[in-house]
Formats: sequence, structure tokens, C-alpha cells
Amino acid sequence: MSTKPALLPLLDSHGISRRDFTKYCTGLTAAMALAPAMAPRVAEALERARRPSVIWLSFQECTGCTESLTRADAPSLEQLILSAVSLDYHHTLQAAAGHGAETARLKAMAENAGQYLVLVDGSVPLGDPGYSTIAGRSNLDILHETVAGAAAVVAIGSCAAFGGLPAAAPNPTGAVSIGSLITDKPVVNLPGCPPIPVVMTAVIAHFLTFGRLPELDSLGRPRAFYGDTIHDRCYRRAFYDKGLFAKSFDDEGARKGWCLFELGCKGPTTYNACATVKWNGGVSFPIQSGHPCLGCSQPDFWDAGSFYRPLSQPWGADGHLAANAVAAGIGIGVAAGMAAIEAKKRAAAERQPVTLADLEVKP
Amino acid sequence: MTLSLGNGLAALREQIDAPVAAFFSSCVHCGLCAEACLFYTETGDPHYAPIRKLEPLRRLWSREFTLFGRIGAALGLSRPLTEADLAEWEVLVYDSCTLCGRCSLACPVGNDLTAMIRKLREGMTAAGYAPEGLKKAAVRALTGISPVGVGEHSVRKLVEAQAAACGIPIEMDKEGADWLVTISSIEFIAFPEVLGALAKLFKAAGATWTIASDAYEATNIGVQIGSRDVAGTLVQRIVDAAHRLKVKGVVTPECGHAYQALRWEGPNLIGAAYDVEVIHIIDLLDRWRAAGKLKTSGKDTSRLTYHDPCQISRRGGLEPQARRLMAMVAADFVETADAGPWNWCCGGGGGLSANHRAKDLRLTVFGPKKRQLEAVKPEGLVTACSNCRNILEEALQHYDMDLPVLGLVEMLAEYLDEEPS
Repeated sequence: MSTKPALLPLLDSHGISRRDFTKYCTGLTAAMALAPAMAPRVAEALERARRPSVIWLSFQECTGCTESLTRADAPSLEQLILSAVSLDYHHTLQAAAGHGAETARLKAMAENAGQYLVLVDGSVPLGDPGYSTIAGRSNLDILHETVAGAAAVVAIGSCAAFGGLPAAAPNPTGAVSIGSLITDKPVVNLPGCPPIPVVMTAVIAHFLTFGRLPELDSLGRPRAFYGDTIHDRCYRRAFYDKGLFAKSFDDEGARKGWCLFELGCKGPTTYNACATVKWNGGVSFPIQSGHPCLGCSQPDFWDAGSFYRPLSQPWGADGHLAANAVAAGIGIGVAAGMAAIEAKKRAAAERQPVTLADLEVKP
Repeated sequence: MTLSLGNGLAALREQIDAPVAAFFSSCVHCGLCAEACLFYTETGDPHYAPIRKLEPLRRLWSREFTLFGRIGAALGLSRPLTEADLAEWEVLVYDSCTLCGRCSLACPVGNDLTAMIRKLREGMTAAGYAPEGLKKAAVRALTGISPVGVGEHSVRKLVEAQAAACGIPIEMDKEGADWLVTISSIEFIAFPEVLGALAKLFKAAGATWTIASDAYEATNIGVQIGSRDVAGTLVQRIVDAAHRLKVKGVVTPECGHAYQALRWEGPNLIGAAYDVEVIHIIDLLDRWRAAGKLKTSGKDTSRLTYHDPCQISRRGGLEPQARRLMAMVAADFVETADAGPWNWCCGGGGGLSANHRAKDLRLTVFGPKKRQLEAVKPEGLVTACSNCRNILEEALQHYDMDLPVLGLVEMLAEYLDEEPS
């Protein structure tokens, strides 16, 4: 993948017109919450013959993130822009194998030293590196080698961003997030299982257009996509506000499209753009399809109790422990209450009534 | 002599109940009660913040009734209440609180601070820290009937004189009358014409009434000084008289705290539910108005406004009744700012009118009322509490404001059709 064909002819050969491309760039600009006047600059940057190289590393992952980006049915603009034009190394997508593939990576690193982007999906096993190796080399080794000359790192998906499923209790591989291993380069987290395709391309386009990363929140996520909760942007929010909830998956409320909070929807605590950008080319998203949000883009979502337990119900503590704690609390409360009532009764018995003689003012 | 620190603390412990615990636990320290209190707004002194006035009660509750407070007390982390504390707070609890209830209404978490100050006064009295003026009034009420010493003989004379003046006989101790009417001593002394007005109104409504020679006094110094023993004795007197005279109900007059004591606190004070109805005269008149029993002709054409007595409007709920009656007699009625539940106190409630050392402060806190009146410039001020009326007259005179203060009952009687319909 060392030769990089011009973008527009490539798109043309896939039946995508310049008009489609311009529309896509405008949409991307809007999605990134940039000024509309920036759209031509985004298009220009993407069109440029030579762009900073992108290297995609895959560690402990399921390829779902790549699937999200390439979506099996038809090649998308996202996939074409990324894979055909900028991508110099990607385990799953590259035709090359073995030494040829590794050479391509090293070559891209050398040619674009200090300027290339490293995209990582999957977590890194620190407990036992043997769980995930490439040609006998540990993920950690490859990561450090590749990142050394990078401009920035993008952690794609919840595994790379927060450890994800591999890090779920009891975390047998000792999986950790990419951000916890990279301290000397900017790291962008794009959590989600998988993340929304446009979120990935938008961050790359932003980097290509402006030469820097978009504004991030405290968890390293781009504010443009992770600034609001699913709940705040959900089209079913009005039902929540009115107190209309589906109580089971086949009741009247579910058929009428009421709020899924009581079926365990994690929308209120999940920051992502699913409710606005949606999936499959803007067709739908889980809540629209009648299923609660799992909160897949939040840290430790796999260990946050049942997907179907409402957020308002406590979880985590062992059931018996919780019951005992409640019983102990009631016991202490009742005992304290009885003691207080006794003290009050004693005081009432002890108190002398105020009499006429008491009130006489002595000269 | 039973008054002592120990007895005061016992009285306070007896007052601590679930509402007190809930109120102190839920205080969010927002300070909104200070902004609602006329003593704070007029002086700007944070000592007058209502919640601060409750500090002795809060300390006792925290130290003896909460888990962490008790642990802290065992470790010597908190001080017990002392005589010096009570002496310091006596002035705050009696001289700078009219029990007007504005802080309770303002509290965003619904804490009834006024009720707690009332409770705190129980401990103060039992410990011997009550103002001299209130103590003397209590002695007069217990030894005689009236807290200001209006004896039975004087009452008979006044009743006779007013009956003669209005031409309608008023029979005292009449068994089987519909209503036992109680009168405030302030009315006997300053506004005795109200007796004639009542005679006209009862006649117009076709109801019979009487005054008991052993329970004519409506006011209850016990709820002001903070002694359930005294307050209970005074309520029991009226209940006994109602039973003796076999009346259907008891009417409380134009007096704020009398209504509070008899209508709301009474059954708890005597430990038994009433078997007669207790109603405020304004409520009774409005009932008759609704039934078409009161017909008036003509209206006062001067610009009139109404002063909502705290215990009758804010804490008694009789604000619409008063407005409906005002509409019968006032052609040019004007509301002041904050009228109704948020009205400002005249400055003389909660025993302040009997607490002579608080006189200067009482005139200072007349400020909000003064500004309310200056803004709408009424030609007459009507109210339904003789204590308010007395204090308003005093303050208006002090500030050189020429404004007559009128009683609603008398106003109504003045425009009443002489011939019953």
C-alpha cells in the first residue's frame, strides 16, 4: 500500500461523485461542530495527494471496530478515505503478510517520522503478554515501537480506550487501556463497542485538516461526539419526562415506543452520539430499535451490573450483604429511635410543671 | 421553686420529636430564613437569622439525640448547654421573634422554624429565662382571667355599656346560646365598640351568643411565653365554659395568637379532641356572607388596604375570607406588596407587645410594614387582630404617619343593613 492514488478518481471508480464527497465533507464538518466555512478546508485536506500516514494496530480485540468502519455490505466513504488513501498498515485489511507487512509499517514510520497517526483497537495484556503476540512480539513492544515516532495516538473502541471486555472482571490477561501506557503523546479515546464510524473518520479528518486533535473531555473523548448523554439527545426523552415507561419488552409501552429506563437503559449515564448520528448510515440506533442502551462506550460497562437492571436500582454489593446492611441499618435506626423516645419520656417524667409561684417576679 | 437549668433542659428534651430531628437534619444552611425575617432585614445583623435563634435546641438535639453527637459528647467534643447560653439566647428567642412564621414559609426544605422557636421557649420558661413582662402577664392570667388585669366586674360594665349603645341586649353566661364568644383584653380596653358590632352581626345572622364570666379572655399568654402548663390551663378554662353553657361552638375574636392557641394548639395542650367547633370570627362572618345572612348597603369610598395578621392569614389560612368581607365594605380597596401569606408582621406578635424591653426593636422592625404602606398610600388600614391594631397605631404615631387603623368586624357592622333580611 505504498502507492496512494488520488482520492477523487478513486471515489469515482466506486460510483461516488464529487458532489457526494462535498456533501460528506460538509456533514463531517457539522458532526465535528466546526464552522460551516471549514467544509472546503476539510475537503481540501482529504483531497491532498500526500497526507500524513495512518498505522492501525490491533491487539486484544474482536475486529468489531474495523467491521464498524468497513461495514460489510458496501464500501463507505469512511472506509475508502481511510483504507485506500491513508492507511499504510492494518492487519485485517492489508493484502501483504509476514515480513512484507512489517516492512510497510517500518517504512511508513521512517518516512513520516513525527507526523503519522497511530490508531489502536484492542487492549494490551500486561499480566501475561503471551495472550496476544504478533510474530512472537508482545503487543506492548509493538505499541511502544510504533508510537515512538507518532504525532498522536487514537484509541479506537472501548477495549483500547478503557480496557473493555478483556479487562472485565476478573481480567485474566491483565488487560489495560492504551491511554494508561502512553504518557508522552496525545491520546484520543473513541470508546464504543464499536465506535460510530463517522466519529473515527471525523477525528482523522480533523487531524489531517488542522494538524492537531479536536477538543477533548476529561476522559480524552472528543467533546463534539461525547459531549451529551444518549438520554439527553434521545427521541424517547419526552416519554421519560412524562413518566411513561415500557415495563417489559412486549407490553403496550414497548409497542408505543415509551422510555426504556425501567428495562435497564444506560442512556442517562452514557456519553455518545448514537442518538443523533445513529448507525448504518443514519438508519437507527439501539433505542430506536426497541432495546435499551448498554452503555458500551462508558468505562467498565461490562462490569456495571445487568444490562436489564434499571439505573435506579443499586447493584454491585452481594445481595445478602446488601440485605444485611439494610437490616443492620434498620436495627441501629430503631434502637437509636427507641433510645431517643426513652430519653424524651424520662425528660417528660423529670420535668416539673411551671407554676404560678415560678412566674412571680421577685423584687 | 422548680425553675432551673435542669428543668429547662428536661422541658427541651420533652419537646424534641421526629419533626425537630427531621428539620435540623434537613437544614441546608441556605440562609433564606434570614432574608424572610424582619429582624434581620431591618438590622442586617446575622445574629437575628431565625435558624441561629434555635441554636440551643439544635445543640441539645445534636448532642443527646444523634449517634455522632452522642459519640462526640462522650469524647468531649461538644459543650453542654449552660445558664450563660440560655441567658444569651433569651433576648434572641423572646425579643427578636414575633412567631410570625415567615421563615417557615420561606424555608426551601420546609422546616417549621416558628414551631421550633415555640418549642425552645418551653425550655426557656422552665429554666427561668422568660422576660419579666410575659411572666407578669402570665401571673395575672392565672390568678385572674385577663393577662392585663381586666376583671369580671369591668367586663360586665363594658358589656352593659356597649349593649346600651347599640340597643341590642348582650346576655352573659346564657346557657344554650349558639356561640360562646371570647374577647381579647386589648379589645376590652382599647376597642370595646367591637362588642356592639358583634351584637349587630349576630342579630343579623339570627344566631345567639354569649360571653362567659369565667372565660371571657381569648388571649393565651401560655403560647407566647412558652409554657404548655399555663397554655393548657387557659384553653381548658374556655373548653369548660363551653361545656357548662352547652354552646355549639366557640368563637375566637380579632386576635392572632388567640386563634393559634385555641384553634390549632388547643387539643394538644389539653390532651383531648374538642367536642365543640372552634372558629375565628372572620371565618364565621364569611360563612354567614356565603349563606346570604349578611346584607350591607353602601361602602367606604376611601382608599383602604388590609393588614394580614400573621396568625390569621399566614398561619391560619383566613386570607380569602378577609378579602371577601373587605369587598362588601370597601369601594376602593388596594393591596400592599407582599399581601396575603407573605405579609410582613406588625412587629408586636409572639409576646413582643407585652415585652417592654423590646419596644425599640419593635419600632425598628416596623420598617417593612411602613414601606408597604408608603408605597400604596392608603387612607385607612383595616385588620382583623386587635394586637396588630394596637401595635400599628403605636408605630404609625411614632413615625408621624396619619393613618386610621380599623377593625374588620366593626367595619362590617357599620355597613350592615339594620333590618335583617
